[in-house]
Amino acid sequence: MASYKLNINSKEYTIEAEPQTPLLWAIRDEVGLTGTKYGCGIAQCGACTVHLNGNPVRSCSLPVSAIVGQSITTIEGLSEDNSHPVQKAWLDVQAPQCGYCQSGQIMSASALLEKNPSPSDEDIDQAMSGNVCRCGTYHRIRKAIHLASKEISNESK
Amino acid sequence: MKANKLNRRRFLQVSGMAGAMLAVGFDSLAFGSDKSTLKMIMPEDLINGIQINPYVTISESGEVTIMAHVPELGQGIFQGIPAIIAEELGVTMEQVTIVKASASRKYGRQSIGGSRSVRSMFMPMRQLGAATREVLVQAAAKQWGVDASNCEVKEGVVYKKGSKDALPYGDLVASAAKLELPKKPTLKNKADFNIIGKATHRPDLVGKVNGSADYGIDAQTEGLLYATIERCPTLQGTVTSYDADAAKSVKGVIEVMEVTRTVYGKKNTGIAVVAETYYAATEGRKKLSAEWDNAEFSQISTESINTDMAQLAQEKGLEHFEKGDFEASKGQRGASSDIKVKTSHYRLPHVAHSCMEPMNATVHVREDNTVEVWAPSQSPQVQRQFARQLGIPDNQAEEKIKVHLPFLGGGFGRRSMNDSLEECFQISKALRKPVKLIWSREDDTTQGPFRQTSFHRMTMSFNSDNRIGLQHKVVSPAITTQSRPSNGRVPFEVMEAINTHYDFDDISVRYSEYKNQIPIHWWRSVFGSTNAFPHESFIDEMAFELKVDPLQFRKTKLKSEPRFIKVLEKLEEQSNWNEKLGENEGKGVAIVESFGSIVAHAVFLKRENGKVSMPKVVSVVDCGIYVNPDQVIAQTEGNIIYGLTAALKDAITFKNGAAQEANFDTYRMLRMNEAPRDIQVHLMENNEAPGGVGEPGLPPIAPALANAVFDLSGKRMRILPFDLQKI
Ligand code: FES
Ligand code: FES
Repeated sequence: MASYKLNINSKEYTIEAEPQTPLLWAIRDEVGLTGTKYGCGIAQCGACTVHLNGNPVRSCSLPVSAIVGQSITTIEGLSEDNSHPVQKAWLDVQAPQCGYCQSGQIMSASALLEKNPSPSDEDIDQAMSGNVCRCGTYHRIRKAIHLASKEISNESK
Repeated sequence: MKANKLNRRRFLQVSGMAGAMLAVGFDSLAFGSDKSTLKMIMPEDLINGIQINPYVTISESGEVTIMAHVPELGQGIFQGIPAIIAEELGVTMEQVTIVKASASRKYGRQSIGGSRSVRSMFMPMRQLGAATREVLVQAAAKQWGVDASNCEVKEGVVYKKGSKDALPYGDLVASAAKLELPKKPTLKNKADFNIIGKATHRPDLVGKVNGSADYGIDAQTEGLLYATIERCPTLQGTVTSYDADAAKSVKGVIEVMEVTRTVYGKKNTGIAVVAETYYAATEGRKKLSAEWDNAEFSQISTESINTDMAQLAQEKGLEHFEKGDFEASKGQRGASSDIKVKTSHYRLPHVAHSCMEPMNATVHVREDNTVEVWAPSQSPQVQRQFARQLGIPDNQAEEKIKVHLPFLGGGFGRRSMNDSLEECFQISKALRKPVKLIWSREDDTTQGPFRQTSFHRMTMSFNSDNRIGLQHKVVSPAITTQSRPSNGRVPFEVMEAINTHYDFDDISVRYSEYKNQIPIHWWRSVFGSTNAFPHESFIDEMAFELKVDPLQFRKTKLKSEPRFIKVLEKLEEQSNWNEKLGENEGKGVAIVESFGSIVAHAVFLKRENGKVSMPKVVSVVDCGIYVNPDQVIAQTEGNIIYGLTAALKDAITFKNGAAQEANFDTYRMLRMNEAPRDIQVHLMENNEAPGGVGEPGLPPIAPALANAVFDLSGKRMRILPFDLQKI
């Protein structure tokens, strides 16, 4: 067991953990932020996606010892009041069904739009194909990303 | 900030229909008045106001709370049932706060499955809402000294007709709650509906875009321990040895114990490793070196299953439906020269449910024999079952055992089996500590129970005098007869989605049960998912033999079924079916009735630079009266993706009795880049009774796809799954 300082959603947390503990379980069970989900544990489904220094990563496959000192954003840190353009678009098109994959979907989509505010359908395929949705909301997610992209470009005008 | 395991608070989410999600923090444990017993606080305890019936509470300031009493797994029922009540109650959705109920018999049956919720609860919930409205009106009428017929209701206020007098529900609730609910209240006319039939936003989605929605796997409570279970690869083998000490040598591991889960009468043994963290539990599990006696099951393989089923297909089987005389129409083995007979064989594999949220459970059996359960279940009323194991009499079960209903990260039928709760209960009962059990994805995929495999022998016959015959012979295991003999009867579930309405002269539908040890279970649309593929593909084969357009063929042969015809006509129009496609394009159609609804899909395929893609799916749904059209559309979109995954991705295959596919790398899911970009769902408007919505969109997708493949490539796909890039 060692002590780790984690910077999550601009707050610092100190946790006790084994060095190889996946970041996912540290976030969920030690820090208590349960919006980040477990789906496969092997970087295949994207349910555990968080931002590490702004990039989407699979927290199930990153040992907690490897990320010390870096900045992590989870779904809870995306906005205070559901006002992130991606969250708004998601609600507009009523994208989630069971909702379990959606934290990961939203984190992948927000990272995509951060880098590429007007993604093409091919860009969306590329950025989002690591996120499985068993309920089959892909169609609405695509719509929501285009919608959020519009809102972002309107904002920056 | 220091993360402190002990100061975690649980949140009850109360969601207002306007979409505002307000989180009330509370500790699950508060001391009761005598300070000696622990009282578990459940959502019901925090509702403000006077309860008129178990579902509806109104506060004196007019807040209306309606309970969401059945589990929400993505189908929108969290809002769906309260919306039905609110409609008849005469309030707007903005006035309503929906609260997730806990498990209790006062709500009646709380289990979900079979696309049954709206179908079975539409009338009872309307009656309940209307009866509640009527006692409020009675209370107002009494106060005014007029007859109830002189009152009318609008948006939570009772008005005296022809005057300015008005009394809001909040002023009436105290006296209304004392009145008896009328047994036969007057229901609204469909034309007066303000909520039912309109697309409303789901309040539970707010928590699903900000991470606050509470799923079973998110349950938190003080002193929580984590468990994982090592399982027998052949499911039912017996354990011969394992190294508990090695597992316990992992720091944080507290206990190693055997547990069982009941799967259709069989007890499957597992070895639970319990630890302070989930990571420690999984590390301990790796050190168990468990050995199993699999001898009895080592012969089971997908090859042997396929051979056995093909053999059974040659038998006569049990009669399910006979019209005319198929054998005669076919002639004796098709010997007569003017008879054309064609037979095709179809096969579908075992598949897994793969809910995004893997199976899990959280249970706390306390020293004083009270229990708190977080039940990620489609069938959460587990109180009596657990009470019996603790020696608690049935009439105290609900008082001593409290069950939370978290949101479910998918269900698809899998969560109607409470095996993970059964396992977790055993662990917590032994330790008297709160325990969260999480199945790994590998456990979830390999351990079943699975969707059944099936084999179909399809035969058509044509005579020179235009006599047409069709025989569908189904071979499959059955769900309801896994642990008992079927006694020569066709089990009720196995014939779903076989359309005997087709106007053929001779129709014969027969069944042979194939039994083996692989457990099977309800999987989205169940036998609809396996029967419709051969049936609707073969209808296409018939149309091809007769050189008729497949959609027109269906229209002619279903002409005595007006609902089918209307759906087909709408699909024809909306999909521009009759427009000629390009050379590298293909289209396919299928129409299936299941779970009380009729759904038709048209699938469009395209080959470009050697790659086949599916740009478009057009669907028409006739589910009678619906509550929220947007949710009917969403469920149909979901059914399309779920069905395409089963058609195009991986099967669960068995070797030496063990499932070979374990995680999403080998058991792959359809992803964004493969999903149709354009999905159009059209709903039929009519006054038919509500049909199912959660499943009926699934059965027609695989045959519509396979029929499109035939149109594109001339290849008839008769075995699922197949690779779209290899056609
Ligand atoms: S849980 Fe991390 S990718 Fe699936
Ligand atoms: S919404 Fe259920 S898995 Fe995506």
